[in-house]
Amino acid sequence: MFEASLTHRETRIEWPMWGCILGLMLIGTAFIYSATSVYETASLWQRFREMPVKGFARWLIHQFYSKQVLAYGLGLTAAAAFCLFDYRKLARWSLVVYWLCILTLMAVLIPGLGSEIHGARRWIDLGFFNLQPSEFAKLAFVLIQANFLSRPADELHQPQIFLKSLGLMLLPFVLILKEPDLGSALVLLPVGLVMMFVAGVPLTYLRRLLGAVGVLVGLILVDILFAPPNWRIPLEEYQRDRLLVYFGQDFAPRNATPAERQRALKRQREKTYNIEQALISVGSGGITGKGWRQGTQNTLGYLPRGVAHNDFIFSVIAEERGFLGSATVIALYTVILFTGIKIAGQARDRLGKLMAIGIVTMLFSHVFINIGMNIRIMPVTGIPLPLLSYGGTSVLCSLVAAGILQSIYMYRRSY
Amino acid sequence: MVILLAIAFLSLGYRLVDLQVLQHEELLKQAERNTHQTLLLQPRRGEIRDRFGNVLASTVFVKTVYADPTLIAPYQTEVARTLSPWLELNESNLVEKLQVQTFVDENGKSKPDRYVVLKHKVLLETWEKIQTAMKALTFGLDEKRLGAKDRAFLRNLRNFAIRVEPYDDQLRVYPNRTLAAHVLGFTTGTDRQTILGKVRDLGGVEGIESTMNAALSGVPGWRMTEVVKARELVTFRDQEVEPHSGRHVILTIDAGLQHIVESELAEVMQKHSPVSASAIVVRPKTGEILALGNLPTFDPNRPGDSPPAARRNRVITDVAEPGSTFKIVAVSGALNEGLVTPETRFDCETGRFSFAGKILRDDHPSGILSVDEIIAKSSNIGTAKIAIQMGPARLYEYIQRYGFGSRTGIPLGGEVDGLVYPPKKWSKLSISRIPIGQGIAITPLQITMAMSAIANGGSLMQPLLADRVEDDQGRVVAQYSPQQVRQVISASTARQMVAALKNVVSTNGTARRAKLDHYSVAGKTGTGQKPGNGGYLPGKYFSSFVGFFPADNPELCVSVFLDEPKLPTYYGGLTAAPAFRSIAERAAKYLAIQPDLPPAETLGVNKAGRLLTASASRP
Repeated sequence: MFEASLTHRETRIEWPMWGCILGLMLIGTAFIYSATSVYETASLWQRFREMPVKGFARWLIHQFYSKQVLAYGLGLTAAAAFCLFDYRKLARWSLVVYWLCILTLMAVLIPGLGSEIHGARRWIDLGFFNLQPSEFAKLAFVLIQANFLSRPADELHQPQIFLKSLGLMLLPFVLILKEPDLGSALVLLPVGLVMMFVAGVPLTYLRRLLGAVGVLVGLILVDILFAPPNWRIPLEEYQRDRLLVYFGQDFAPRNATPAERQRALKRQREKTYNIEQALISVGSGGITGKGWRQGTQNTLGYLPRGVAHNDFIFSVIAEERGFLGSATVIALYTVILFTGIKIAGQARDRLGKLMAIGIVTMLFSHVFINIGMNIRIMPVTGIPLPLLSYGGTSVLCSLVAAGILQSIYMYRRSY
Repeated sequence: MVILLAIAFLSLGYRLVDLQVLQHEELLKQAERNTHQTLLLQPRRGEIRDRFGNVLASTVFVKTVYADPTLIAPYQTEVARTLSPWLELNESNLVEKLQVQTFVDENGKSKPDRYVVLKHKVLLETWEKIQTAMKALTFGLDEKRLGAKDRAFLRNLRNFAIRVEPYDDQLRVYPNRTLAAHVLGFTTGTDRQTILGKVRDLGGVEGIESTMNAALSGVPGWRMTEVVKARELVTFRDQEVEPHSGRHVILTIDAGLQHIVESELAEVMQKHSPVSASAIVVRPKTGEILALGNLPTFDPNRPGDSPPAARRNRVITDVAEPGSTFKIVAVSGALNEGLVTPETRFDCETGRFSFAGKILRDDHPSGILSVDEIIAKSSNIGTAKIAIQMGPARLYEYIQRYGFGSRTGIPLGGEVDGLVYPPKKWSKLSISRIPIGQGIAITPLQITMAMSAIANGGSLMQPLLADRVEDDQGRVVAQYSPQQVRQVISASTARQMVAALKNVVSTNGTARRAKLDHYSVAGKTGTGQKPGNGGYLPGKYFSSFVGFFPADNPELCVSVFLDEPKLPTYYGGLTAAPAFRSIAERAAKYLAIQPDLPPAETLGVNKAGRLLTASASRP
C-alpha cells in the first residue's frame, strides 16, 4: 500500500506536458532572439568578452529575449507554487481574485494608471513590466466560473443561476472591450460557453445564448460590411479595418469619390500589409525553412518589427523553420491540450473538471486564434501565442494555468 | 471535446500544408521580391554617323537638377545669382522657385516642399561647374566667427541645397542641327512599364532613329541586389549584368554632300518660293543615297518646335504626278521591246493630237520627230504615240518594272506606294496620258531610282541608306551591300536612253540650264500639273529635274523637285534644272569627279556626234 502510493506519487507530475512546455519555452526564447536581434553586429559571446560584466548584464537585461526568459522563470516559480497549492483552496479564493482583476481592469481605464499604447489602454506600467490585467482576468474568470458552476447540477437549471453565470462573464467582457481589446474579450465567450456546457447547464439556455450571440455577431458583420456609414455601430476604426481585411472587402464605400477611394485604398494597403507579409513569411518558409535568423521577411523587417516578436512570432518560426517547425509547435500544443483534457477527464470533482476544461479552452482559443491569424484563417486580433509570444503577463498566466492543471492532476486522488 | 480539438488542429495543419507546401513557390517568390531589387541599367544609345564617320546623332548623359529650398533660406537671391548663368534660367524666376513652399500631405499636415526641380537635361560638365560654384559661396560671412550651428547650415547649403537625381537621363544630340534631319528622324523619351518598374526609354520616332531603333538602343543590363527598404546591400549583390551599348549606324549619307544639297535647296526656296523643295543624290551603280534633303525641314534636337509638315520626308511620303520625267518609262520600254529605234519617226501633229475625244498638246509644236528628238523636245504627242504602239499591258509592265507603284524599300518609315492603276482600270485616254506622267502618282524617290537604273545600264538598284552597323569597338556587326532589284531594260537599251537623255541637256533640249561645264549630263525635266477639284489646278505645278553625270560613266544621279514654284517660272527646265546644275557642280568639285569633257568641248558641244548633228540641224 505504502509502496503503491509512493509509485503513484511519482506519476503525479505530468512529465510529457512539462516537457512540451519546456520545448515551447526554448523555441520562444530562440525566435524572440531571432526576431529582435536583427541589428546586432556582435554575437552574445563577443559582447560578453568585450563589455565589462556589469555593463553586459545591464545591457542583457533590457533585451527582449532575456526579459522573456525572466518571465519564464517567474512563471515556472508561480506554476510550481500553484502546483503545490490545492486547486480547491484556490477556488475558495476565486471570488477575491476575480474582483481584484475587475478592479485592475477598471484601473487600466483610468488615464493616470493605465499606460496607453497605440490608442489602447491595456497595460499598467510597473516599471520593469507592463502588466496586462486582461490576461489575468481571463484566468480569474475560469476560476470563478468553475467555482460557480461546480454547484449541484440541479441548480444549474434555474434561470437566475444561468444569468448570474452569464453576468460573471459579461463584466470582464465589457471592461476588456472598453480598453479596447476585442480579441481578448471574445476569448471569454468560448471559454464560458464550453464550461457551461460541460457543467451541465441546460442545452436550451446554451442554444439560446449561442443563437443570440450568433445573431448579434452576424448583425454586426453585416452592419460593418454592407451598411452605409451613418447606420454603422460605433466600432473602433482599426477593428472595422481588420474585419474588412479578413473578409477581403474593399475599404472604399461603393459611392466614394475617386479621391476618397484612393485614400481608402492606401489605407487598405497599409492595413493588409502585416497579414500579407505574415502569409509570405509562412509560405516562403517551405518545408524546412530558411534557417534560424536567416528568414528574409523577419530579419529585413518586412514582417513588421513591432509585431514579429509577439503577435506574429509564429510567422517567424514558420519562415525560419518551415513546415517542420510549425508542425512541431502545433504538436507541442496538442500534447499540452490533450493532457489537459485527460486531466479534466480524470479530475475527481466537478470543480477540477471545470477548471481544467476552462483552462484547456482558454489555451486552445489563444493558440487557434493566434496561429489562425498568422495564416489568415482568423481576423487579426491582439491575442498572444501562449509561451511563444513575447509578453510577461501572457507567459505568467499560461504557466500559472499549466500549474493549476498540474495541481488538479496531482490532487485528483488525495481525498 | 477531443474531436473538436482534433478538427481545429487539423484545419490549422491543413492550412499550413496549403501555405508551406502548395503555395510555397509563389510565396517564396513574393518574399524574394520583397528583398531583391533589380535596377535596370540603361544602355547608351548608339551614334548615327555619315559614311566618313562624322557624327550625325549622338547621346550625352544629362542630369536633373533640383533644389531643397529649406536649406537655402534666406539666401535665395545669392544662390539664384550663382545658378542662373549655369542653368540659363532667369534669375528672378529662380528666386521664386527657391522660396520655401508648403504642401499638405495626406495626413493633413503642412510640410515644406524639399524637392523643387530647377532644370532637366543639364550636362554633366555644367553640373560640375554648379557644384564648384555652390561650394565657393560665402555670403560675405567670416566662417571662423560663426557658431557651430551656422557653420553646419552653411555646409548643408553648399553641399546639399542643390542636388541632382541619382540616375542619368540620356539626351540625344544632333550636332549638325537640321542637317539630314529627314534621314535621321528624332527620338522621344517614353516611359515604359517593365517587370522591373517604370523605365524611361529613348525611342526613335522617325527616320533612321526609328527604323534602326533596335540596333541603336542596345540591350539594358541589370543589377540585382538585396535591399533593406530601398537601401542597397552591396555585399549581397547577386547579379550584375552590364548593359550593351547601342550599336552605331553608319549611313551612306555624305555629310558634305548633304550640306551642299541643303544649302542649294535653300537657294531654290528663296528664288522660287515653292511650298517645298527636295533633292536626292544617289550613286547609280550601287543605289547608295549620298544626300537626301527636304525643305522646309526641322531641328531634330527640338522636333516639337516645327509643324508636322516640316517633319515629313516628302521624297518618300508625298506623291505627285511626275509629268515629263516619266516619259523615260514608255520610251525605254518601247526601245527595249524593239518596237522602235532611236531613229524611228513619229508624226507629232504640229502640237495638236486628238485622241479618245480629247486633244493632247505639245508646248513646242513639232512635225515629224525621231524618238531621240521626242525625248529631247519632251513631246507629249510623240511619247503618247510610242505608248499607243506598245499597248497598255506592256506599258504597265514597264511601269512596274521600274518600281513604280511599289515601295523602294528605303529603310525609312512612311514610304508610300504611289498610285499606279492596272490597265483594266484605265480609261481610253489613259494610254496617251500615263506615258507623259499624268494620271499616275509617284514619289520623288521612285523616279530618282528609275533614272538611276537607266544610268546603271538598266539595272534597278534598291536604295541603300545604312551602310553598316558597328559595335563599340568599331567591329562591323552588319554590312549592307548593294542590292539589285531587277534588270529593267537591257544594257544596250540603257545606252540608247542615255544618248537620248544627254540630248535633253543639250543647247536645244528642255534642260539646257542643267548643263555642266566639265561633265556630260543626261537627264529629264518634268512639270507635272497638280490635280484637285476634279481637274488640274491652274498655276500649280510639280517641277522636277532628274539627271546623272558623267553621262556615260555616271558617278551621281541628282534629282531636284519643287512643289508649286511661284509663277511665272514653273517649268522644270527653268526651276529644277538650274538647281541640279548648282548641286552637281559643287558635288563634282567636292568629290573630285574626273571630268569627261575636254576643256575645248565645253562650249555646249556634245561628243556624241550623231545627236549633235540632229539637234544642230534644228535651230
